[in-house]
Amino acid sequence: MGNQNGKVYGLTLLCPILEDDRATPSHDLQIRYYLAQLSTGPESPFTRSSSTHLARLVVMDDVVYVGAPACEEHLNSKYLIFETNCDSDLDGYMTELAQTIPDTLDQIWQHCTGYPGTRDLSAFLRYMRSCQIETTFFFAATNDKNRNETLAALQTQRSVAEFITAHQGMDPAQLQREFVAFAGRLKSAPLPKPAVFPQSAERSIQTGGHNE
Amino acid sequence: MSKLNATDIQGFVLRGYNMPYARYCFLHFTSAPNARALMRELLGVITTGQLWDQGKPQSTVNIAFTHKGLVSLQLPLATLITFPVEFQLGMKARGGILGDTGINGPEHWDNLWQDDSEDAEVHAWLAIHALSQEVLEDRFVYLQALISQTESAQILDTQDAAALVEGGKVTLKEHFGYTDGFGNPDYLGVCRSTQPGQGKLMPDGTWQPLATGELLLGYADEAGELPVAPVPHILAANGTFMVYRKLHQNVATFRRFLDSWSSRYGAGDAQAREKLASKFIGRWRDGTPVEVSPDAPDPTLTQDPNRSTNFTYSNDAAGTRCPVGAHIRRVHPRDAFGFEGRLINRRRITRRGLPYGPYLPEDAQFDELTDKTDRGVAFMVLNASISRQFEFVQQQWINYGNDAHQGNEKDLLLGNHGPGEKYVIQGDRNAANPPLICANLPNFVELRGGDYFFIPSITALGLIAMNLVDPR
Amino acid sequence: MSNINGKVYAMNAITPMRTWKTWILRLVFFILWNVKPLQNDLINLSFIQFARWVIIPRDKFPFVGAPQRAESLKYDYLLFFSNFNGTWNQYIDAFSAVLSKGLDLIWRWSEKFPGSTPVTIFKEYIARVQFDTDYYYTAYPNATANDVKAAHVVQQSFDTLIDRAAGMTPEQFQAAYLDFVISVQAHLGDTGEAPVVF
Repeated sequence: MGNQNGKVYGLTLLCPILEDDRATPSHDLQIRYYLAQLSTGPESPFTRSSSTHLARLVVMDDVVYVGAPACEEHLNSKYLIFETNCDSDLDGYMTELAQTIPDTLDQIWQHCTGYPGTRDLSAFLRYMRSCQIETTFFFAATNDKNRNETLAALQTQRSVAEFITAHQGMDPAQLQREFVAFAGRLKSAPLPKPAVFPQSAERSIQTGGHNE
Repeated sequence: MSKLNATDIQGFVLRGYNMPYARYCFLHFTSAPNARALMRELLGVITTGQLWDQGKPQSTVNIAFTHKGLVSLQLPLATLITFPVEFQLGMKARGGILGDTGINGPEHWDNLWQDDSEDAEVHAWLAIHALSQEVLEDRFVYLQALISQTESAQILDTQDAAALVEGGKVTLKEHFGYTDGFGNPDYLGVCRSTQPGQGKLMPDGTWQPLATGELLLGYADEAGELPVAPVPHILAANGTFMVYRKLHQNVATFRRFLDSWSSRYGAGDAQAREKLASKFIGRWRDGTPVEVSPDAPDPTLTQDPNRSTNFTYSNDAAGTRCPVGAHIRRVHPRDAFGFEGRLINRRRITRRGLPYGPYLPEDAQFDELTDKTDRGVAFMVLNASISRQFEFVQQQWINYGNDAHQGNEKDLLLGNHGPGEKYVIQGDRNAANPPLICANLPNFVELRGGDYFFIPSITALGLIAMNLVDPR
Repeated sequence: MSNINGKVYAMNAITPMRTWKTWILRLVFFILWNVKPLQNDLINLSFIQFARWVIIPRDKFPFVGAPQRAESLKYDYLLFFSNFNGTWNQYIDAFSAVLSKGLDLIWRWSEKFPGSTPVTIFKEYIARVQFDTDYYYTAYPNATANDVKAAHVVQQSFDTLIDRAAGMTPEQFQAAYLDFVISVQAHLGDTGEAPVVF
């Protein structure tokens, strides 16, 4: 139970955000603006983390008031939530991030209270550990393959589908020759780039609301 | 549940009429008070859901309205804004969701549906079904007279449709040669008899009718609540929503495609050709379900209502009998998603419709021009929620494949195919049932227009006619 | 700044719990974790890539020291993070239809939870307790949970075949290849763009 499910680790961090009336805009808004312009596609800094499957960053302003008779209460700080599904535990994962994307981390976490920066790795890890919340229950659909294995498998799936389609009705000897050659090419193909989605025409978001 | 008042529900909603001729008239109201006068006249004419135990009438008449139609009839604003979002937007605006893009986009639609100008808005669908062409024409003349007497509307266009006749006999076939009309859902209280396989699957393996509220507004639905409906309740109850789509069929493309791939399937003979055709849909062209009878069609099966739709896919997870992406498996997965079928009970739709355009015999010559002939099916869907039922099936199960575990792949016949798309027919080691991947799928069906309609109850029609709709 | 990236949706939800109820929830999760068959339904609803529940006791919000002001709260909080495929409505409809008992077992300890059936009121509650994602990254945006599972099936079958392929006679290979195709034939769905959001 807890953070680990098979080979996948569910890291949950809640990092208090700096409160400073003199900052304009406030620190939580600055994090928001930075994240809004950060690429989520192939240019994302997280592509450089080979152990990140899916990750999100959320600025949590406050807790929710669900309505009377529940009591209304408020948080004294806002929190930056970092929820990530990755292939190594906190120490391994945050070390990788600190080494591959230190500037991105600084840009985001400079707005968090007590953040020491990435230069001193042990201080950095100590800070992150102090912000970690134990995941109570972690579910993973596929929990035994790491990110690179998944990217490779998706490429294999596509290539195999193409091969099978194009080689229907071929005589056995030729089929075998071509298959062996194909397998060789696939094995030596580079790992596909992460976070790539197909180019698409202008996509409008249409509302359905709650009356669906 | 309460007994349905069939005299308050339009007959078209409760049953398929099985009349071989139809004319769908699309109206534009020119004056609200006059249109209401027309409604008052029509109240005595609209066919209700009363059973025909005394004998089938020669013809029927039914009416439905677009949102723009309800606006032109001057329903109160507070009522108009409570209609579901998708109905207010209309089908054209939902094109991105439905895959009505590219060749299915509005630029290719019939003028009736393409024209965006205010006086070309389609306000109402007035449908005549008849047992013969003569009766149809008589009825049409009668309705035309009513419309011109009341000076209420313009008939923008009409769409004729008729059952295909093969060898002198009226058939239930559509232009690709498939026998249609199987598998409409059973709803509680709506049908006198239910057929195993049409309702919802129960944990003990039997079939029960679906909740009435999946078709009719104002009744409990499968989620255990009343479906979201416009106010006031009296306007919505006993009504439903209809999707109308004119689907053009590229018969030459289909026949060429079938010919070319059947030569590569199994023995490559005429039998293999029919088997391949059955693997596209999940039924042989005579209607025999492939899941029950994968090797040959079986007329005794199709004619026995206790067996013709009575099957599940639990013994065929691999798709070797009925391919995983076959049409009927996509739109009615039965138990294929597990959970004893509970994930699909709110995604069922009632289909109505008739083919239009000239019949092309199976052995006739064809060329590229054949696809240009105006033929296809006037297709209608009835459901309590267009977005939860029709739009969902169209977007998630026809033009996408994730729920069927087929990634992005689309329904072979209905999908709006991009370049290089494929259809996998799962097979086994049996030489007559090999795996086959049909590649480079063309578009067999193209959309030529349509819209979303509200089919009111007789009471609601009366309220509209008397301008008494009050949203409280 | 979207909850959606490719084919996956990031839902975040927070609900308050009275502290004595938190212990019951912990027990529920403990049982769910250790009695694996109870997780089957979650696994068979194959559109969740990853999901987690995080209980934050009222005094356990991270405190890094001054100038942060410590929290002083009455309720414990249950955080929920889901990464699922499909639309918001489809997701909640599916859960309400087949997993309502499990959902209730987890969320009935949260204040003002109306129950997971009927679905419309349940959706209103979720909309109230849901908050939005600022940045969402996925390494494979054009693949759903189903696509990923299918891809691994294909990879495994493929690896098994190539190990043996070169050393066979053409006839042996033809038979082995047919077996290979049969083993992957239901797992070859093309991956790509997600359907339009509505």
